[in-house]
Amino acid sequence: MKNPLSKTQIDQLGDRLRAGSHTEEDLRLLDDYRLSFREAYETVVQKIRGYGEFPTGRVDKSTLSIVEKLRRESIRLSQMQDIAGCRVKLADILQQDHFVASLRTLFPGASVIDRRDKPSHGYRAVHVIAEVSGKPIEIQVRTALQHLWAELSEKCSDVLDPAIKYGGGPDEWRNRLTSISKSVAIYEKFEKAHEEFEKAHSEFEKAVAELPDHHETNQKLRRKLEVSTRGIEESRGEKVRLWNVNADLLNKMISRLDDLKRQRQ
Amino acid sequence: MIFLIEYNRSEGRIITFREYGESQWQEAGNARLEIELELNRQGVEHEVVLLEAENEEALHRTHQRYFADLTEILKSATVR
Repeated sequence: MKNPLSKTQIDQLGDRLRAGSHTEEDLRLLDDYRLSFREAYETVVQKIRGYGEFPTGRVDKSTLSIVEKLRRESIRLSQMQDIAGCRVKLADILQQDHFVASLRTLFPGASVIDRRDKPSHGYRAVHVIAEVSGKPIEIQVRTALQHLWAELSEKCSDVLDPAIKYGGGPDEWRNRLTSISKSVAIYEKFEKAHEEFEKAHSEFEKAVAELPDHHETNQKLRRKLEVSTRGIEESRGEKVRLWNVNADLLNKMISRLDDLKRQRQ
Repeated sequence: MIFLIEYNRSEGRIITFREYGESQWQEAGNARLEIELELNRQGVEHEVVLLEAENEEALHRTHQRYFADLTEILKSATVR
């Protein structure tokens, strides 16, 4: 094992990468630096696996992404918290909340960055930064829809304009992504409330079913159950309607891409 | 499993894709470094990453961007 780099050496390496003046030796140094996160990464991933999830790990951040981040932000290389990390994709916000709470228990003292209500250029997710032996490891916790949006944003940045991911690039694509992000946020908030309503309704329904028929109070409860049932049906309909808003935005984007392909042919 | 991916962002396509077993961290790391050094010599900017996933299918689920084009990503989302 080589001697670990000092903080000053790491930041000087970061300065050379930022300036584009790095040598092959610098790339080897960067590789050694990334390698120093491996043990902490393994610890985090093993703990998450022990909990029952199997995250996909990004063992270490690519050189290109590191250089871009150094140029984009006034950050030093030694301050980067996402050199190594992993990603967990879950069905919905309820599962996401539950999993984030579990991560807080698994990694006491971890910092939690919740970008669901305050998105970063449309990006919504929860990032948990666990620290193991002084090394930060970023755990990205996304719902399926948050993940979809992130993939879309990344791919648009890849093939349309690299600035899109950070709020730049052509208005048309940035606006489309912003609309989808907002629409998904509305859908997910409603979905969360709806699932809680479904759960409460189901418990109420079960409790009423166990009551004897003749009692007057029970008749009142049955009438309330009918109201709750109508409410659930309306809520299910609204959930479908909100999903259709998302689907419509996605389909419009597909059509626009098809138009562009035809124009290029 | 460990996956080594060299990805051309502007073309949105994978240039190199290799799989390694759980015990082949060092090999995968060395291969990644070799690709990065070669790209640096050529002055080519590609994203080179090492990813760990249960299997390739899981990798596609969490890193679809490397494997699908924009329309495919959008279409996969509308199926629900």
